[in-house]
Amino acid sequence: MPTPGQLMFARRLGPTARLLIWLLIGVSCVVIDVRFQALEGLRSGFSLLLQPVRQVLRAPGDVATELSGFFTRHRQLQKERDALLAERARLAVGVNTAKELTRENAELRALLQLQARPGQRTVRAALLYRGHDWFAQRITLDQGATAGLRSGLPVVDARGLVGQVHRVYPGSSEVTLVSSPEQLTPVFVERTGQRGLAAGSGQGRLVLRYMPAQTDIRPGDRLLTSGIDRVYPAGIPVARVNRVSRSQANPYLRVECLPMAGLDRSRAVLVVVAEPQVTKP
Amino acid sequence: MTTPPHAAGNWRRILGTLTLAVLLEQLPWSGWMLAVRPDFVLVVLLFWTLHQPERLGFGTAFFLGLLADFQDGAVFGQHAIAYVVGGYLVLYLRLRLLQFDPSRQAMQLFPVLLSVQLIALLIGWLAVNPPAGLTMLLPVLSSTVLWYAIAGFLRLLHGKGMQDRA
Repeated sequence: MPTPGQLMFARRLGPTARLLIWLLIGVSCVVIDVRFQALEGLRSGFSLLLQPVRQVLRAPGDVATELSGFFTRHRQLQKERDALLAERARLAVGVNTAKELTRENAELRALLQLQARPGQRTVRAALLYRGHDWFAQRITLDQGATAGLRSGLPVVDARGLVGQVHRVYPGSSEVTLVSSPEQLTPVFVERTGQRGLAAGSGQGRLVLRYMPAQTDIRPGDRLLTSGIDRVYPAGIPVARVNRVSRSQANPYLRVECLPMAGLDRSRAVLVVVAEPQVTKP
Repeated sequence: MTTPPHAAGNWRRILGTLTLAVLLEQLPWSGWMLAVRPDFVLVVLLFWTLHQPERLGFGTAFFLGLLADFQDGAVFGQHAIAYVVGGYLVLYLRLRLLQFDPSRQAMQLFPVLLSVQLIALLIGWLAVNPPAGLTMLLPVLSSTVLWYAIAGFLRLLHGKGMQDRA
């Protein structure tokens, strides 16, 4: 029983009560975010606040890279130049063929009176920050809505598909990597044309799902985007088959692939901004 | 209550270290550095919760947790809840922790940090891959009812009170 001089209630709630209140707020936060996606404004606010900081903090690393690049030995540069010259010669041949094919393609399309494909624009973006989430592998780029990005766009680097834009902020954007768990990419096997679905499996790998046991597929095969989902343009390299194994219990093959793009190395990427397709009646 | 003379300095120190921790997390970590990167913000938060519990409340912990959620692109609330629980655990163990030398303190903090990580993991998992429904919580309810039934039955059986403390 409280004595007359004593306060009936403590002026401040006890730690356990405060914990419970905050837990309740936390749970409602989770529910609001997951069920109603209503906290994107807060995300944008954090992004506006932190993006300049990240830009600045990236600078020391950039300077270090510049400096180490400056001191690269002359010999190595020469070697690289020779290799590049050789590669240029090889590519020139390819370019000529491609030009031929483009012309031929245009003619054939005209013949078939097909609509030319809508123009594609690419936006150069640099890696700003690497997320540390357990459920998805994401990176943050330094380009956002102001550069015309929207969520769903494909992101590529020089070697292949990096991922898909997931969230867009005014000056930055989050990209889900192809190797992120549950990230699906429609692909086809370059050698045979067999279509399939590549899913990220975490740890920087992909698996090709639902391949019947008699499928002709072997290690070394390249997987390209098939383009049937209208999200990715067709023909972007996605992954190379690393290991194929059959199991007695499973009617499907287990096909493990390694992504082509330098998911943990690339610092500069391109976002392919496809103009929305306008269908005329 | 009188305010200590160096109160302003303390505030500055708390804010300064927290800002530093947030800035450290903004560095473009990658590869194995990212994998072993300590959670600077959490450590600083727990440190000040231990030494200045009247200045850092659950609200600060919650806000910093939201910031961590933004940084990882995770579900909002995942780290917020975990940080709040971490703060509570440190408050709970405070008097005990303050008696130890640094090495033992670190050892005692290991389970706290582990539980923070596990809570964030659990909440993220529940939010991203929700189980079939909240029906998984029904056994909790039925078990409670069962407890009531057993306790009530035993009480009836033994007369009016099984008061252990007598």
